[in-house]
Amino acid sequence: MVSSSNLEERAAAMANSTQLKSDALLEQMKLHLATDVGKELTKKIGLVYQFNIAPKKIGFNEEIYVVDLKKGEVTKGPYEGGKPDATFSFKDEDFLKVATGKMNPQMAFMRGAMKIKGSLSAAQKFTPDIFPKPSKM
Amino acid sequence: MSMRDIVTGGAACAVPGSSSSSNPLGALANVLIGSSSETKERLQEIPRATTTTSDGNFSLGTDEHLTTLPGSELDHSLQPNGPGSEFLRAYHSADQSRLEGVWDGIQNRQGRDSLINFPVFEHPQGVNTRLQPDLDGPPQRVLSSFLHSFVNSSHGGIPFRPTPLPVLGLSEGDKQCIRDRSSIMARHFFADKSEDFINQQVNALLCSLDIDNDIRAKGPLPGRYRELEEYWNESQGMLKPGSHAADGWVTEFMQHGVEQGDHNAWAQSFEQQHGVNGWASEFEHEQSQITLGDQMRGAQFSNVAAMEQTRMLAHTLAQNDDPKFQNSKFLQFVSKMSRGEIFIEDNQVKPTALSAPGDWAAEYQQQYDGGHTWADQFVHNELSHGPDRWVNEFSAEREQHGPVDDQWVNEFSKLHVQDWVEEFGHQVGEGALGESSDNWANAYDEFLNEQAAAKQRSDTRGVYVFSDMNPYVGHPNPLKEGQELFRKGLLSEAVLALEAEVLKNPDNAEGWRLLGIAHAENDDDQQAIASMMRAHEVDPTNLEVLLALGVSHTNELERAAALKYLYSWLHHHPKYGTLAPPELSDSLYYADVAGLFNDAAQMSPEDADVHIVLGVLYNLSREYDKAIASFKTALKLKPRDYSLWNKLGATQANSVQSADAISAYQQALDLKPNYVRAWANMGISYANQGMFEESICYYVRALTMNPKADNAWQYLRISLSCASRDDMLKACDSQNLEVLQKEFPL
Repeated sequence: MVSSSNLEERAAAMANSTQLKSDALLEQMKLHLATDVGKELTKKIGLVYQFNIAPKKIGFNEEIYVVDLKKGEVTKGPYEGGKPDATFSFKDEDFLKVATGKMNPQMAFMRGAMKIKGSLSAAQKFTPDIFPKPSKM
Repeated sequence: MSMRDIVTGGAACAVPGSSSSSNPLGALANVLIGSSSETKERLQEIPRATTTTSDGNFSLGTDEHLTTLPGSELDHSLQPNGPGSEFLRAYHSADQSRLEGVWDGIQNRQGRDSLINFPVFEHPQGVNTRLQPDLDGPPQRVLSSFLHSFVNSSHGGIPFRPTPLPVLGLSEGDKQCIRDRSSIMARHFFADKSEDFINQQVNALLCSLDIDNDIRAKGPLPGRYRELEEYWNESQGMLKPGSHAADGWVTEFMQHGVEQGDHNAWAQSFEQQHGVNGWASEFEHEQSQITLGDQMRGAQFSNVAAMEQTRMLAHTLAQNDDPKFQNSKFLQFVSKMSRGEIFIEDNQVKPTALSAPGDWAAEYQQQYDGGHTWADQFVHNELSHGPDRWVNEFSAEREQHGPVDDQWVNEFSKLHVQDWVEEFGHQVGEGALGESSDNWANAYDEFLNEQAAAKQRSDTRGVYVFSDMNPYVGHPNPLKEGQELFRKGLLSEAVLALEAEVLKNPDNAEGWRLLGIAHAENDDDQQAIASMMRAHEVDPTNLEVLLALGVSHTNELERAAALKYLYSWLHHHPKYGTLAPPELSDSLYYADVAGLFNDAAQMSPEDADVHIVLGVLYNLSREYDKAIASFKTALKLKPRDYSLWNKLGATQANSVQSADAISAYQQALDLKPNYVRAWANMGISYANQGMFEESICYYVRALTMNPKADNAWQYLRISLSCASRDDMLKACDSQNLEVLQKEFPL
């Protein structure tokens, strides 16, 4: 039998993470930034992006992630070090599509699937290639 | 009568009586989109050649489920029996000679009376426009009259009052269309009023029709529109803290335009400025200089409206498949105008000066110089009525006639919502992002293509899509053949044979299951899930199917579904079924399920399958170390299971142990050289390590084995640009594997 503390621990782990699909990718991004490639990326881009990701509709029940490509971190919650260079708002699905190259960011913007706040030149450096790609079992 | 005559109206179009609305273009448009029963009858005589001539937008009623797509803009056009689609089908099949007939019909009706500012065609059935709605009669007429009264209320800016109406029996789709359209329309009608006023008007309308204003959030179209609006308001609020955030973006846009008065000046100044700072700050700058007059705004509005109306016309015309018509200058003209590339001013057609590289401006110029007679005639004829008038007439006619067959709703929502968004994005791209404007322009084209493709694709999601040409149909034993091919590793061939099997025996769970496995190994998840679902329908307790569904949904990051299937695996397992209390299946918690599987693993530690499911479960919770341990345990028991090696590799890759992942994939490929998924995963792992050249070779290898592996194409594209091999992007986009293989041999 599994000990109850073990179960609780796991339950807590699950409770912390929401049901967003994007969570998985952002978690992978977190690990990715610690690798050599990730550090390279940080050096190359050097900007702070905030992602507001909503399960169904932009602006509602958003989960906020900060992908800090200055420090090479992914954190949950709004950016605390001032203003992010660009803030993107997505639906869960659309964020995944953009991050995995299924939809290009310009198109996402035109479709209204991606909203941008902040510097447009910073926003333009946001491309699908900054994200690691998920592998399939 | 040639197309040109229709456009220009020729001599026949000289309209006596200035109050007449019988403007040729407006009338043509009315016939194209309108609801005149006279016209409809005429067109219904046309033989139904639509299956071949239609561009696929109008499905002919075999797929009933299409109409149930929630919130789809296609609601109406897909309804096979709706009068509107009937009419449109007929229209699509109409060739020029039919148009001629239609034209004659218009001529006969010319000169009928109309209202002064908002001229309308009298409806042949006698649904006259009046200020008071006619609330008797069949629902359609009630609705029509009611909507007319809403439109009329705009003339004087009179507040619109909720009115009790009989039950109209509107479908959700109808309601949504009305909701969307009226919201947008109101913003045009009341461009000079406050947002609150507009909302009141719309709410009064929707309230009377018993339409819940909140549902509007559901549909993709209003969503898009609202998002744009919000974005706009937000950016305005950001830049100008004092401004009234409630003012709609439409109003803002008008104001901006109006201030400049002259299109050229506006466009030029915008162009001059755009390189320097962001468009947004430029916009703010301009905003701060604005002092506006209502009169001018009205004038400007009509130009914007002109663009929209022509866009609507262009769209409708573009649906005609006749190549001759498609290449016609008229269509080109209208579509240019609709994109704001040219506009009519002071009796002249002018190109806008917005374009930086001037491609289309030049192109237009050529065309204009070469064959300007038609343009002249067009302009002359049109302008004798005044450029704004025909637009008004055109819109008025649509609004007056449309409701009868719902067509207007479709047309309007399609054109106004999407095109505004497109147009906006386009302009932003052209104006603000000088150096990357190509990028944006490409994206724009892609977007348009995608729009067309999406219409066809939206109906196929989750449904198994069979190959068109299948040599195995008619094979005496396609299942056996499929199994054999699968064993040999010829996945794409096996898929065909198995498709033949399930076509022959749709209730063969094994056929569907193996088909699903073949697709999964071929890295085609959509098809894999679709076939596994069919297998599951036929045999709900098949453990292999349940596990495969659990894995696929985990790959798709669909946690709840994955958990359901994995739990179901345990529940139906002869040995562990007792562990899984059925009452749990109503509310599955990850921790409970994982706990149960741990129990099972303790019960029989020699059962590789339990460890496999545990590994999948730990992937769900992203406890990758535990997942890796479970898969490794399973591999000790089943060292020759190539899919297990791939699962281990994928888990390692997702926890950024790419080097380990690559050796696991290599194991899988040693056991099964044609394992497309493992090849694609290899590419991913190289790409995630920044080794893009290598990744390209693996993606290309995967794609040569299965060109339908969409993910691999997307990833290949990313890797190509990361490796600065933009020269190969064209080959990638055209899926030219020959070139790619030659360039990137493995």
